[in-house]
Amino acid sequence: MSHYEASIREPLINGNKSYHDITVDVAAPVEGKANKKWWIAFTIALLAFLYGIACIAYTIGIGIGVWGLNNRVNWAWDITNFVWWVGIGHAGTLISAVLLLFRQKWRMGINRSAEAMTIFAVFQAGLFPIIHMGRVWNAFYVLPLPNALGSLWVNFNSPLLWDVFAISTYLSVSLVFWYTGLLPDFAMLRDRAVRPFQKKIYGLLSFGWSGRLKDWQRFEEVSLVLAGLATPLVLSVHTIVSMDFATSVIPGWHSTIFPPYFVAGAIFSGFAMVQTLLLIMRKVSNLEAYITRIHIENMNKVILLTGGIVSVAYITEFFMGWYSGSSYEDYTYLSVGAATGPYWWAFWALITCNFIIPQSLWFKKLRTNYVWSFFISIVINIGMWFERFDIIVIDLSRGHLPSSWTMFSPTFVDVGIFIGTIGFFFVLFLLYARTFPVIAQAELKSILKSSGDNYKKLRENNHEQ
Amino acid sequence: MASNKKYWRSVEELKSDSPIVEGLMQKEFVEEIPTYEFLGDKDNLSQSATTRRDFLKYVGFTTAAVTLASCEGPVVKSIPYVVKPDNIIPGVANYYASLISDGSDSANILVKVREGRPIKIEPNKMAGNWGATSARVQASVLSLYDNNRLRGPLFNGEAIIWSDLDKKVLDTLASLKNNKEKIVILTGSTASPSTKKVIENFSQLYGNVSHVVNDALSESAALDAFETMYGLRALPSYKFEKAAVIVSIGADFLGDWQGGQYSANYAKGRVPVNGKMSKHLQFESNLSLTGANADNRFPIKPSEQVYALLNLYNAVTGNSLPSKETKADAAIKKIAVLLKEAGSKAVVVTGIQDKNAQLITNALNEFLQSEVYDITTPRFIKAGNDADVADLVAEMAAGKVGALFIYNSNPSYSLANAAAFNEALKKVKLSVNCTMSNDETALQTQFVATTPHYLESWGDAQFQAGEYSLMQPTIKQLFDTRQFEDSMLIWMGENTTYYQFIKDNWSASILNGGSWNQALHDGIFIGNAEVSLIKNEIDLSASAASLLSQTKPADFELNLYAKISLGDGKQANNPWLQELPDPITRTTWDNYMTISAADASKLGLENWNVSDGALNGSVVTLKVNGTTLENVPVLIQPGQANGSIGLAVGYGRTAGMQKEMMTGVNAFAFMHNFSNFQTVEIEKTASIHEFACVQLQHTIMGRDEIIKETILEDYINKPKEDWNKTPEFSLNHEEVAAERVDLWEKFDDTIGHHFNLSIDLATCTGCAACIVACHAENNVPVVGKHEIRVSRDMHWLRIDRYYTSDMTNEKAKEEDIFGTGEMFNTMTIPSENPKVAFQPVMCQHCNHAPCETVCPVAATSHGRQGQNHMAYNRCIGTRYCANNCPYKVRRFNWFKYPQNNEFDFNMNNDLGRMVLNPDVVVRSRGVMEKCSMCLQKTQLSILTAKREGRPVADEEFQTACSSACPTGSMVFGDVNDKESEVANLIDDDRTYHLLAEIGTKPNVMYHLKVRNTEES
Repeated sequence: MSHYEASIREPLINGNKSYHDITVDVAAPVEGKANKKWWIAFTIALLAFLYGIACIAYTIGIGIGVWGLNNRVNWAWDITNFVWWVGIGHAGTLISAVLLLFRQKWRMGINRSAEAMTIFAVFQAGLFPIIHMGRVWNAFYVLPLPNALGSLWVNFNSPLLWDVFAISTYLSVSLVFWYTGLLPDFAMLRDRAVRPFQKKIYGLLSFGWSGRLKDWQRFEEVSLVLAGLATPLVLSVHTIVSMDFATSVIPGWHSTIFPPYFVAGAIFSGFAMVQTLLLIMRKVSNLEAYITRIHIENMNKVILLTGGIVSVAYITEFFMGWYSGSSYEDYTYLSVGAATGPYWWAFWALITCNFIIPQSLWFKKLRTNYVWSFFISIVINIGMWFERFDIIVIDLSRGHLPSSWTMFSPTFVDVGIFIGTIGFFFVLFLLYARTFPVIAQAELKSILKSSGDNYKKLRENNHEQ
Repeated sequence: MASNKKYWRSVEELKSDSPIVEGLMQKEFVEEIPTYEFLGDKDNLSQSATTRRDFLKYVGFTTAAVTLASCEGPVVKSIPYVVKPDNIIPGVANYYASLISDGSDSANILVKVREGRPIKIEPNKMAGNWGATSARVQASVLSLYDNNRLRGPLFNGEAIIWSDLDKKVLDTLASLKNNKEKIVILTGSTASPSTKKVIENFSQLYGNVSHVVNDALSESAALDAFETMYGLRALPSYKFEKAAVIVSIGADFLGDWQGGQYSANYAKGRVPVNGKMSKHLQFESNLSLTGANADNRFPIKPSEQVYALLNLYNAVTGNSLPSKETKADAAIKKIAVLLKEAGSKAVVVTGIQDKNAQLITNALNEFLQSEVYDITTPRFIKAGNDADVADLVAEMAAGKVGALFIYNSNPSYSLANAAAFNEALKKVKLSVNCTMSNDETALQTQFVATTPHYLESWGDAQFQAGEYSLMQPTIKQLFDTRQFEDSMLIWMGENTTYYQFIKDNWSASILNGGSWNQALHDGIFIGNAEVSLIKNEIDLSASAASLLSQTKPADFELNLYAKISLGDGKQANNPWLQELPDPITRTTWDNYMTISAADASKLGLENWNVSDGALNGSVVTLKVNGTTLENVPVLIQPGQANGSIGLAVGYGRTAGMQKEMMTGVNAFAFMHNFSNFQTVEIEKTASIHEFACVQLQHTIMGRDEIIKETILEDYINKPKEDWNKTPEFSLNHEEVAAERVDLWEKFDDTIGHHFNLSIDLATCTGCAACIVACHAENNVPVVGKHEIRVSRDMHWLRIDRYYTSDMTNEKAKEEDIFGTGEMFNTMTIPSENPKVAFQPVMCQHCNHAPCETVCPVAATSHGRQGQNHMAYNRCIGTRYCANNCPYKVRRFNWFKYPQNNEFDFNMNNDLGRMVLNPDVVVRSRGVMEKCSMCLQKTQLSILTAKREGRPVADEEFQTACSSACPTGSMVFGDVNDKESEVANLIDDDRTYHLLAEIGTKPNVMYHLKVRNTEES
């Protein structure tokens, strides 16, 4: 890490912070008491989570028939939610791994929470492939376990099986990466802890971090190795998820541009979700000094880029629908299939949310505006949900044989389970915000002298003199 | 060797006389166990209510109880044979030849019996056309296990024993005989010579007895006409296979018209052979199954059907019977020319329920000297006499009837004046209903002499002159029931059983020296076919005048019809039939008013789809001649003649029925004067009806490669590429057939068996027999109206029905809107009078199956014999396979369908479960299922042949659908057997594979439809 940064670059840490200030600020939510707002948020999230559990129990007890699916549209909200959550889970690793390799210092203020969000989102995502099974009690059949049934083995041709491996690999690498980064920060909390219980817990969590030079050296090396490992995963996970669709023969699914298109879409939605969470957190946890206008703007730039890629993908799809000369593709993409068909509202929700509204980020005034950024991040999250809904439901509802055309309408259980995962996600995130160091303070301290506003000012003054 | 090693426990032990060591040696436990504290206090102990023994008892009991509770398993009642019957081998099916003849369905059948349970109806192929099984015949086996059947005889609604019932009946009969009061036997049509003889003997014994025949779907007009012309109450038999031109005016001869059973010989003429096939022209009001199969169809109102008949007669014969103009007159003139050209190869049939119309039609056929119109071997399957029924009600009301015996008839349901009948019945001294269920009439009669199902009965029939057949029981009577004929014999004081009676009757007058055992084994016997006919002259002008005066055109005319599924409603309590989609509307669990789109928009009636795709419709109140039916749903029907509406009878049953099966409205209430043509008033209501329709998009959307068809002229004159082009892909810069483009090396599938199923769209009439056969063979669950409504039908085999649209790809190219939203939107609208195509679709058993590659657990895999297998036990229900199936033939078990009160159909009661095929597993919740190409049947054939040490004969390989298909449209077999029928069909010019361009390489092939029309 270079200790010099051009003065024209905006500072990444504001508020005249010293090293000790950072420590205090990061430790404050853990050491302090939860305020009323936290409890209200937590209660709502917990209730949503419990409702979701009830809906899942109802599904497993009675059958998948309690959802709105039918024999033509065999997937709908379940896999939509799965892909949506996996997509959201993309930003964390991208921020911490790819930006680490690219030496982007602004990631330090946000990577911890982005990674936490990733892991919690992947939890939600992993839930759906399991509960969408008709016989969830036999879910272990998807694992290539040695068994006494002769040559009975999993089907390595199936993209659904690739999903199992892709998601579990991604989850484990992300988890290790995240935890490695947490070690020095847990140690900091341990060292500050007053109550013995807290000291004990953080002592265990920090794996006996001693702060010796050797610790730091290994820490840096492991981070780099893990970043190298995690980077291809950013591309692989959603590539494989996209193959659930791309390898099929269904018009609208059978498309070779799905892998890059899905990866871009995933980063797009993941950054939007990080944006949503950080904009709340910087207010609630008093982190305005660390999550600054420049962070938000940088994030918006990534959103604009990935949104652009996604938009190009949409246009490519429409072009290919026409260019392929296949009336099936043509129907699905170009005509009544999507834009004016019975699901026109879902189609236009997608176009509006993912294509039209994000264009406003070309304007610096808007992309540095906290309120607008928050609004856009929500809009993109909605838009990306519709993208998956459109791909799955519209295409399945208008298959090859017109005799089998039908539609899908969700039941309260479909909705309940989705709400439940949102609840679960926020339960985890709120607990995390109260017990974990939400900013990678050890890393952040390494750039205080190069990117802190006070030091920058100091240097400027020296320069002027 | 024992170890000498010594382990030191402390340094203290080194000291030889340490008091500590000494002390430890003395005491085994370092600390005293304070047993005294809790056992020493005797007083306290003795005061305790729980003694040690009690404590042990409690422990013992709870352990045993917990163990027992965890051991509770389902109790499966299975009783082994103590003495095994000679001809039953567990696991091996027996087949018995029998017949069904209940006045609406007539067929020679084979009954498959497993371990004493009839489980499947198969056609009796020895019986030719009469061996064809319709959907209702296929489903009739389930009616045997109907949980709502009566368990025994009733007297005023209370159970009674047979001896008491007989005593009361005999007492009353004796007094009636003394007083010479009239006794009436009211039955449905019976083709049974023995039943007729029993009734005859009864009449002779009691004197003043009359036999009235009542059919819910009456053919009285045709019978009257035949009787007037030829002096015999029968129906002509039509040999459609000989026809070059068939003109039908309102005759649904592929449905219930004149007793049905014309599909097989009709279909024979519908395949182009040597450049020839029959030309079928249909004038009708509703779009019937027959009209859907016609080459040209002219939708006209019921009143216009009468004029069309008269105009056609005039145009062909040159006579000038009085008539009126119709909008189809130009077409009629052309058709008259066609008829005259075809001469004796032409035939005209009509479904107009008027004696005069039938007389004119018969005369026209005689004029043409039609070979198709055969009066020498007339049919006896319909005998209803409307005039007699009308007289009977009048006589009963006047108190002139002393006793009424009812058998195989449900007048309280099927008469338009059912209320008057019920009122009149109260004046009858003795009323006995011989019926299987506590139906509408049974609620009105004093006695219910409960009859068995036909599969538990003896019987015989003469469907057609000379074609005798026998019915035999295939199971011991399930309940305390007695056949109608047995009851009659007892009430005559006879000592014989009906079985003996039939045997005697056959020996005396039918067998003519032939073997009874052989006849019983075959189920059929070709006997004396001689009928004595006379030839009466008919004054056709008078007939025409009378016909004209009877015909009253109106703004809206109602044409009542019967559906393929429920027919006259006898089997309305059969869930297979309730769930069977109507071949035309593809709607289940309902009847409804069909109306043309133009009329519907005039009246503000609508059909629309809600958010889950399901169909909703307006509701109307209908008024006919003072009778009102409320809550009639509206279905907009392409092809419905403007100014006419259709409504199916057979629904609206309310008695002896399970709640779920009480669907629709009773349209028999409108059948005034036994006529299916009525004048109707339509009144819109504010209600909305929810339909359960399995097909929501009715046109092919320009995807012409799905249903290929051509016209006869092109088929003959143009090269195959013009009308059956195989899709091509570019491979190595050359255009090759799509099927040859492949990423993988082909497996060698030329060894062993490789099964293919061939479906000829030219001969598939859409009759739906295959659907029910599949339902029965494969234990497919019934899921009920709501599940069907939300597209969760479980049928493994469906028959897609497509209407043509005015917008075609060609037209769009001309108008320069090809590929646009405008084109597709217009394509969704069917033509006003569309051409119709049927396409049975089941699992295509792709050799490159998209489902197989995506299953994460390999639960669906390919078999060596070409089938795509489902391993239910392995399936975890991700439903990925169903999504990736381009044919959408996979069916998911969304709920637990068997033994679930939410799905209270046949699989939810012990009786109904008796119909299950033990060779096919009942699927659990959460697994995918689909057509297996009747794996259990092919395996059986292979193993049987192997045991007998011979190759399998071609005809042994059958699926349930191919075996049930009455028209021979479906052919199944082994393509590696180069001699087999199916192997030869592969190379036919008409062969194509569904969605071949995807490269799935299906084992099911289709043969394109050829229409005998001028314009394509």
